[in-house]
Amino acid sequence: MSNSSNFIFKALYIIAWIIFVGLSIEAGGLIVNFVFSVYKPEFVPHLYQKLDLSAMYNRSQWAFFGMYTFILAIAMLKAWLFYVVIELVGKLDLAKPFSTFVSKKIMLISILTLDIGVLSLVARQSAKNLLHHGYETDELNRFWVDGEAYILMAAVVYIIAIIFKKGIELQNENDLTI
Amino acid sequence: MPIVVNLDVMMAKRKMSLNELSEKVDLTLSNLSILKTGKAKAIRFSTLEAICKALNCQPADILEYVEGPET
Repeated sequence: MSNSSNFIFKALYIIAWIIFVGLSIEAGGLIVNFVFSVYKPEFVPHLYQKLDLSAMYNRSQWAFFGMYTFILAIAMLKAWLFYVVIELVGKLDLAKPFSTFVSKKIMLISILTLDIGVLSLVARQSAKNLLHHGYETDELNRFWVDGEAYILMAAVVYIIAIIFKKGIELQNENDLTI
Repeated sequence: MPIVVNLDVMMAKRKMSLNELSEKVDLTLSNLSILKTGKAKAIRFSTLEAICKALNCQPADILEYVEGPET
């Protein structure tokens, strides 16, 4: 493996860690926000994100818990996605990339990305429906702006995962050709 | 697999050890072992040629087709 590839991989590893830490903080912050929204709504303006859905909570608990479920699920899935990316970049051996581990991780990345994309789209539609019923959902839109991009990315990563699966078969066959 | 490798039979007939064959055909012991135990998925013509030359035999002496379930 060339020096430049080595450098790029190390940079990618560090960037993936930074993004993972950022997403974990965001997910943790949202969980704290959620707990305070339920038990101490008066503290919410002092918290990270300042996500105040107390009006929604007072009007309909179903809408409140539904929206928070979407927000927390997407935030946690994003953090998990980058944890898998860290695992993959950390253990990927470019000299012999076609291993079962790499194939499984790429497939998991594809599934997680698709989950995030689909959840974002469903959440966005649910928020729109709530808007029609007079709920204030403007501040929620920033949590699911990129649903289509995630679905597109899931499709691309899925194709890569399939290619890797075939690559493993070819590598195994090559290894067992005497 | 329906293709059976009779390398061990030919080696026994020629009274040749695995180490000796490995040196003559320039293959590692592990690769020869894979071939001998039938775990190999394919064999190169160059390998077959070297083995036939070292054991003074024909490819049919080493490879045999036996009716059986495919894997």
